[in-house]
Amino acid sequence: MKVAFFPGCTAQADQIGYEASVRAIMPKLGVELAEMEGAACCGYPPYSSVSEAAWFYSSARDMAIAEGMGLPLFTLCNGCHLSFTETKHALAKDSVLKAKINEKLTREGLHYEGKAELLHVFELLHDKLGKEKIAAAVIKPLTGFRFGAHPGCHSIRPSSLGRPDDSENPHKLDDLINWTGAQAVEYPGKVDCCGSSLASVSGKTVMEIAGDKLKTVKGLALDGLVTTCPFCFKVYDNRQRAIAAAVGDRTLEVPVFYYTQLLGLAMGIGQERLGLELNQSPVDPVLARIGGA
Amino acid sequence: MKPVLVIGGGIAGIQASLDLADRGTKVHLVERTPSIGGVMAQLDKTFPTMDCSICILAPKMIECYRHLNITIHTQSEVVGLEGVVGDFNVKILEHPRSVDSAKCTGCGLCSEKCPVKKPSDFQAGLGQRKAIYLAFPQAVPLLATIDREACLWFTKGICKTCEKVCPAKAVDYEQKENTVELNVSSVIAATGFEQYNPKDIGEYGYGRYKNVLTALEFERLVCASGPTGGLLNRPSDGKVSHNIAFIQCVGSRTQTTGYPYCSASCCMYATKEAVLIKEHEPSSHVTIFYMDLRTFGKGFQGFVDRAQSYWGVKYIRGRPGEIREDPSTKDLTILYENTEIGKVEKMEVDLVVLCTAAIPHRENRKLGGVLGVELDEFGFFADKNMLTAPVESSKPGIYVCGSCHGPRDIPESVAEASATAAKAAEDAARAEVKQ
Repeated sequence: MKVAFFPGCTAQADQIGYEASVRAIMPKLGVELAEMEGAACCGYPPYSSVSEAAWFYSSARDMAIAEGMGLPLFTLCNGCHLSFTETKHALAKDSVLKAKINEKLTREGLHYEGKAELLHVFELLHDKLGKEKIAAAVIKPLTGFRFGAHPGCHSIRPSSLGRPDDSENPHKLDDLINWTGAQAVEYPGKVDCCGSSLASVSGKTVMEIAGDKLKTVKGLALDGLVTTCPFCFKVYDNRQRAIAAAVGDRTLEVPVFYYTQLLGLAMGIGQERLGLELNQSPVDPVLARIGGA
Repeated sequence: MKPVLVIGGGIAGIQASLDLADRGTKVHLVERTPSIGGVMAQLDKTFPTMDCSICILAPKMIECYRHLNITIHTQSEVVGLEGVVGDFNVKILEHPRSVDSAKCTGCGLCSEKCPVKKPSDFQAGLGQRKAIYLAFPQAVPLLATIDREACLWFTKGICKTCEKVCPAKAVDYEQKENTVELNVSSVIAATGFEQYNPKDIGEYGYGRYKNVLTALEFERLVCASGPTGGLLNRPSDGKVSHNIAFIQCVGSRTQTTGYPYCSASCCMYATKEAVLIKEHEPSSHVTIFYMDLRTFGKGFQGFVDRAQSYWGVKYIRGRPGEIREDPSTKDLTILYENTEIGKVEKMEVDLVVLCTAAIPHRENRKLGGVLGVELDEFGFFADKNMLTAPVESSKPGIYVCGSCHGPRDIPESVAEASATAAKAAEDAARAEVKQ
């Protein structure tokens, strides 16, 4: 299977470990990642406060590139996936805006029709590849490990737009974790926001929201929190020490992984190829146990 | 005088049948399930009087059964109707009971020995019944029936235990379905409602969290003839629940998932169930989350006032956003905004009861087609005129009462049933004059 690969700005700018792990596992799963020449930002919905048309334009431009390649558009980031989905819905309804955007795209030899299929990480791994292919690639099952799944808001909401998983009872990331041989554990607040979008408004609130989830995961003595969203990861992993300080609990230590890193480990791929040295949460004890297994 | 056809053997159909029969009109009462009684037979108590529901209903059911002017057709459905008011030809399909109604004494031995267990409809799925069973202890007629989809003889050709143990030799596996054709003067539809399945409202976790029940399930739990004998043993671990919350308007009064209308009886039955908990154990904590308290009926406001002031039931205005389950204890946390003080709060409870919308019965569309009457935008039977002809359908000679044409409580259903009986009796009398 071949997909147009859209890592998105966050993965390319500072979540390099995520992209590395995706590039390491996909060929082994039989997925060819085709580079999207000239692709830029997904549009980033908050830009709509400046210019909605500019958002739709950048978003449609990326989709037009994938369309030109005749491939499904595979995104790593929950936010990019939602941005594309929203644009697709908006342009399907607004033919005037669509024509205006196409007029500009023509200058680059591009055309947007809305035909490119969008693929979220869940959709590619869970729906397209499925249990059989993932399980077949697992050679070092993560037996005995218990993880909490954090799907992240934009992969499940708003339900009216049709998201990769159910908004109230998402299970795909849990399934994916289970297929590595580890156990996904249900925990209260699984569908909670990581808080990251509030960062520009109230940093304190982000710390409290994120702290709640980390406390729950720690309270259940899980081996870690697993996500596929770079924004959520940035909060739980990169900001973990700040969260611990803000909520006044220095012992709040929770290993955080990208799902693709875990899957890579289960597939027997070396830790150095999965960007794990870039995880800032205390993943080393878990890695040591996996390494020794 | 020509008979009247009454469809549905719940409290509305029973009342309409008795009114007609008592004034000398013959009635054919058609019921889809093995016993008349309807939802009221499943209720523990009634509001606002706290009467025992079955104690009020059972004498009426028995009276229907022994009344010389009433013929009851159970496990039956109306499959055809032709003609006009005063002269309707109707076709009734009687499904086989697989038990000879002339011989069965309702002793229940067959059921005791039957090896197959299925969830009991009467116990709202909380308890079990056998493949051959009596619908409930006070069933009318008190006859066993075989669920052919569950029975080993019908599915696998083995067993026949019931036939062997029946002292009256009443089991009859060969029974066929039977069509009855009648000429009636008018028809009363009293087919009732069904309950909204709150699985669609994922944030409340119904179906995922064992300790989230619907109000009808709770009604069986709190009832002395229920699966726990009236003890409030919650489903996850059997712990007796002393901290219980009710959530109102689940699937009703919503523009998103569910129905936009008010379900009419939930404020009152939640209050009733709350008082029942307090009667069981006065130290229990009971909270009702509501949007508005709709206490419009006679004695209703006084009932709610007493629940608050005497029993200490707590009412919080706010529609909870989410329920969470503690994975180890299975205790539940409700997240809500108390809109009276504008604060987002949490509450931990043992058990949550969802007061779900009363929705149109799934058979309405089919029956509406057979009868040739219109349905409203939701699938309830439409009224000819909501103000001046509230119990008449879109077709002359066909009347509607109870919750088949919109959510109703018991008093209103009974009042409407008597109204339809009066209307139907008029038609019957006119048909007599014509002949």
